Amino acid sequence: MPDVLQKNPENTAAAPAAAAPEKARSLWGDAVATLLRSPVFLISGLLILLLLTVAFWPGLFTSMSPYDCDLAHSRQGSAPGHPFGFDVQGCDVYARTLYGAKASVEVGVFVTAGVFLLGGLLGMLAGFFGGWWDSLLSRITDIFFGIPIVLGGLVILSVIKANTVWPVIGFMIAFGWPPIARVARGSVITVKQQDFVQAAKALGAGNGRIMLRHIVPNAVAPVIVVSTIALGTYISLEATLSFLGVGLQPPTVSWGQDISTAAAQYRNAPHMLLWPAGALSLTVLSFIMLGEAVRGALDPKQR
Amino acid sequence: MRGVTRVVCVVGAGSLLAGCGVAGGESRGGTDPNGVVRASWSDPQRPIEPGNTNEVQGGKVLGLITRGLTRYDPKTAESVNDLAESIETEDSRVWRIRLREGLRFSDGTPVTARSFTDAWNYTANITNKQVNAPFFQYVEGYADVHPADETARPRAKTMSGLKVTGPRTFEVRLTQRYATWAEGLGYQAFAPLPRLFFEDHAAWLRRPVGNGPYKVESYRRGKAMKLVADPAYRGPDKARNGGVELVVYTDPNTAYADLLAGNLDVADDIPAAQLPNAAADLGDRFVVRPAGIIQTVSFPFYDRAWRGARAAKVRRGISMAIDRDAITKRIFNGTRIPAKDWTSPVLGAKGGYDASVCGEVCSYDPKKARRLIEEGGGLPGGKLVLTSNVDTGSHRDWMDAVCHSVDKALGREHSCVVNPVGTFADYRTQVTDRKMTGPFRAGWQMDYPNIENFLSKLYYTDASSNDGGHSNPEFDRLIDQANAAPSAAAAVAGFKDAERILARDVPAIPLWYQNGSAGFSERVRDVALDPFSVPVYQAITVTR
Repeated sequence: MPDVLQKNPENTAAAPAAAAPEKARSLWGDAVATLLRSPVFLISGLLILLLLTVAFWPGLFTSMSPYDCDLAHSRQGSAPGHPFGFDVQGCDVYARTLYGAKASVEVGVFVTAGVFLLGGLLGMLAGFFGGWWDSLLSRITDIFFGIPIVLGGLVILSVIKANTVWPVIGFMIAFGWPPIARVARGSVITVKQQDFVQAAKALGAGNGRIMLRHIVPNAVAPVIVVSTIALGTYISLEATLSFLGVGLQPPTVSWGQDISTAAAQYRNAPHMLLWPAGALSLTVLSFIMLGEAVRGALDPKQR
Repeated sequence: MRGVTRVVCVVGAGSLLAGCGVAGGESRGGTDPNGVVRASWSDPQRPIEPGNTNEVQGGKVLGLITRGLTRYDPKTAESVNDLAESIETEDSRVWRIRLREGLRFSDGTPVTARSFTDAWNYTANITNKQVNAPFFQYVEGYADVHPADETARPRAKTMSGLKVTGPRTFEVRLTQRYATWAEGLGYQAFAPLPRLFFEDHAAWLRRPVGNGPYKVESYRRGKAMKLVADPAYRGPDKARNGGVELVVYTDPNTAYADLLAGNLDVADDIPAAQLPNAAADLGDRFVVRPAGIIQTVSFPFYDRAWRGARAAKVRRGISMAIDRDAITKRIFNGTRIPAKDWTSPVLGAKGGYDASVCGEVCSYDPKKARRLIEEGGGLPGGKLVLTSNVDTGSHRDWMDAVCHSVDKALGREHSCVVNPVGTFADYRTQVTDRKMTGPFRAGWQMDYPNIENFLSKLYYTDASSNDGGHSNPEFDRLIDQANAAPSAAAAVAGFKDAERILARDVPAIPLWYQNGSAGFSERVRDVALDPFSVPVYQAITVTR
């Protein structure tokens, strides 16, 4: 693995005077090297790869439709061709579990991207400009931070009813950005005081150039770490809202809804509950493990 | 109440029906006369008022705090005189009513003939906006206090057909002959009201005062209503417990869990998900009995898309796309029976129940269903949005099943989607505000055991529970004619003629007849359901 990295032109150019056996690498190069040696990363990465495949091409794994239900099979256990059995309506639990991945992954990825951009931007503006910008943005962050997200979801999403994932994604971005903004702000403040930023300023660089060329690349690592870890919790939040009946609406298949229906049936048909719940737990766990691995790789103190 | 036969435990799996009718048997051990029965409930749609309560949850309370001229035997559904000493008529048009002596409301004021006529005039008067006003539509002078135009001012304050002839006697004059009129008098819309109701209406609404075996002690919306037994009650069905606490549940599964945990004494409406376990969990504390309840799916006729002959074809098609046998068997574990007409088997064949009325329309034939829907121009708007509340009756489960059944018949996914509404009260408000865009649930629990109640209150033009706004002059004419029939048998035959029009129009799709089901805790005994599927609360005893 180190061989590959040594061929990186950036590394060789940036450190011409480095000692021969261990060439100096950038933060990112180091991180990738660490990650590829981490079993936690490899396992979670594989699981997530599998999950993404299932989410985008569920047809590869099953020919059943999650909506093809036959009451004659209501609550039956596994049968040939139907490894996970059937739910109350006689729908194939295997197909529903696979198709449920799509909504979860969509929500997780889009919400993470959304909070990363929104929270990152607001946090950077607050940290970079300081003064009343900081005061104003930080107070707004505090206000949003103070709103309990599940309660907010019950109130807001029960009013907005649409058969798509977008209201849920929009709501979760609108209420999920404050932690990211805080991390981004702290990170930007640290970087801002470093010598190379001062040097750029002394050379007459504008605010835009300083932010994009010097601050963002050096302050983004912690924001990425926090966002990645949060991805798992966004998926579980989506499931929570769907369980409570205000998240994704039918006909969208989602684990939260299926768990909600199965909860009442667990005494007669526990398989209905275990499969979607297991898939949900495994997904959340994979993303949290991935986030931990990335954090370990990007934080020099953890090495 | 001729012709009303009690159907005892003839349906469903035998094992489920242990404890049919009165369960628990005679009281062994000591009973606590002051013990309070905790029973499951759901918030009523509107504040409790005899004239303005036409749904089941509010009706439970009125059943505890009011008593009318007649009552229905909790076992046989037979109509017997209660407050009335006699109800007489010679021509089925002028009815003379005499009250028993010494009747009192729970606030101590006497129940007089005026308590009835004032209450009825209040309910019928259009300015009071009472939903049960149409129950008085055959009383002479109704048109003066309740003009057909909803915005018009009434021409009189009282109905000319009501005449008080003495402190305990009054006379009711109807606009036409109506042989079975007295059979409806046990319904709560006919209950008497004390002076307080008219003098301080707000106070009465805060704490309703009636003449039943219980008094309202307190009510907190979303929590519970507490009722205490009225020691001064002199009726034949005096409370055998100290009181009833009606606890609000938004999910019957929670109520069931509370029942098993001993936090609740009586849970009616056992959720479908628990039916397979109920017999094992509760043993002889599980009660199932046939009840005068039919579940239907009604249509919004205030929406142009659902009117006309082509839409009728679509409705017939939808009806034939529903696999009632599979749904009642799989979802409801055989505790519901596929519907074959628009009434209920509890009426019996003499009372007007007839399994041949619906015929082909109520059979499952996906191929023909699809053809009918296509011939009728397809589903209005391209898809069905099926609406119901989901906090009671396991409605979510069957709605999903019905939608799958329709999808399958049409060979198209998502041609039918469900629109679950969180609470019963919210759902009823949306229905009465005419917010429906597609088929919606219209369950009917009979007010009194008579075929007339299943037809005219639901499908007669502007009837009190005609939520869909169905109107057919031919149907109205046949109903009027049947009401005027000289004998009960002739009336039943007339109503069946009217019902045959429903088989053609399909203003509502019959789904299934519902059995009442309930479970009770070890703390209480003598729990039974009446033919309306409501627990007979006053008969319940609490063990020490």
